[in-house]
Amino acid sequence: MNNFFNKIVELFSTPEYIDSLLHGFLLTMQIAYFALLIGIFLGTIIALVDVAKPSKWLAIPKFICRIYTTVIRGTPMALQLFIMFFVIFAIKGFPSIITAIIAFGLNSAAYTAEVIRGGILSVDPGQTEAGLALGLSRLTIFFKIVAPQAIKNIIPALGNEIITVIKETAIVSMVGMYDLNMAAKDIGSGQNMASYIVPMFTAALFYLATIYLITFIVKKIEKSLRKSDLRAENK
Amino acid sequence: MNGETELIIKNLRKTFGKNKVINGIDFKLEEGERVVILGPSGSGKSTFLRCLNWMEEPTSGEIFFDGQLVTGKNIRKVRQNIGMVFQHFNLINNLTVMENLVLAPIKLKMMKRERAERRTKELLRHIGLSSKANSYPASLSGGQKQRIAIIRAMMLSPEVLLFDEPTSALDPESIGDVLSIIRELADNGMTIMIVTHEISFAKEIASRIVFIDKGKIIEEGSPEQFFSSPKTPRVKEFLDKVL
Ligand SMILES: Nc1ncnc2c1ncn2[C@@H]1O[C@H](COP(=O)(O)OP(=O)(O)OP(=O)(O)O)[C@@H](O)[C@H]1O
Ligand SMILES: [Mg+2]
Repeated sequence: MNNFFNKIVELFSTPEYIDSLLHGFLLTMQIAYFALLIGIFLGTIIALVDVAKPSKWLAIPKFICRIYTTVIRGTPMALQLFIMFFVIFAIKGFPSIITAIIAFGLNSAAYTAEVIRGGILSVDPGQTEAGLALGLSRLTIFFKIVAPQAIKNIIPALGNEIITVIKETAIVSMVGMYDLNMAAKDIGSGQNMASYIVPMFTAALFYLATIYLITFIVKKIEKSLRKSDLRAENK
Repeated sequence: MNGETELIIKNLRKTFGKNKVINGIDFKLEEGERVVILGPSGSGKSTFLRCLNWMEEPTSGEIFFDGQLVTGKNIRKVRQNIGMVFQHFNLINNLTVMENLVLAPIKLKMMKRERAERRTKELLRHIGLSSKANSYPASLSGGQKQRIAIIRAMMLSPEVLLFDEPTSALDPESIGDVLSIIRELADNGMTIMIVTHEISFAKEIASRIVFIDKGKIIEEGSPEQFFSSPKTPRVKEFLDKVL
């Protein structure tokens, strides 16, 4: 036990270790952040194509989107990461962070698309009908009526997706990238520390704290969205 | 009520997959008419009504509104002139009552916001719901929602109003409130088509009754004639059940 506390003191008093952990954490967050940006952007497009009224020119895009989400959701993330690293971007000197961002971004797009699609489809079709019957355009109906209601259903699930991506990025250590997960392993296996338990628990705390913060923010947003639902006579 | 023809429907058909729901309906609606559509459940009453403003795109047949053939191109203009009131009200949940009412006139550039809001206030006062202008639909009763849905349709001053079972989702107490608004519209010469199960209201308000069975109009006539001396066995059977 004494040894354990010594290790903690050692970890937090060695600038090199702290540096490694922070660098790892930064990489983890960079990958997750940019991957989520790609995921939300692409996922929104896929979802919109998917829920759009069927028409001649959308038939092929709709089909492609279906195939895309099916393939991405039907294969392991780790395998998708390997394919990106060892097949598609197996180019010497290509920055691995870009490869990782693309891999996670493309993966997240498929899941985000499902989240957004589900959110849009859960809006009562009567809401759209009301807009149509008034002669409003599809665009107006989407932005003024459907989207604001869909957001309420989307936010919680999107929060889950953000959390999933942050945690899942840990597998980049499998392709030798120095993320938070890898930093913990690296520090633990070093001659000086020679203990996995302290760096790994510290890394766990980093993940936990981040995810706790995100959960907290999402809950706050959810609450404020729900409030406008029942806000009554006061305005 | 100068007897202008509002709608002409020629050989209207609508199928959902293999299900033939509307099987060749010819129909004319004159200005100032109050047509009540009756018929058994699943006979296609709602579908017929919804085809008129293309909430369902007809499979075949033609609809003329004000002498113009209704197509995908002019449907939005047509809808601005054919209001629709739904069984489940369909007020926009994320908008206040006021925003529900001013949305279409403003977006369609028929009124400036100021004028739309003034008109909204007038109409709300008229139906006794002025205090609800800034409420969200979730805080209203069914009857209040439906009365607001009716004035929302009226905001665009349509030539025709379609009602699909406007009181079916209401408790008995609110039914009267909603019916009296419809009655008032009728008294003011509004052209109305209504699907309803309120037989006594149908008798009272209708200038013509249309009976639909299996996607066809099998009998129509004045309420007196329709209720007292039905021509077809199918209608006799129906009336025996509902009267
Ligand atoms: N959007 C749709 N997709 C597939 N089938 C539909 C659709 N709308 C209606 N139908 C079918 O069309 C038939 C007629 O339905 P409709 O709602 O027009 O009947 P209705 O006369 O209004 O009945 P009710 O009195 O019960 O309201 C039914 O068999 C119904 O299942
Ligand atoms: Mg119906």
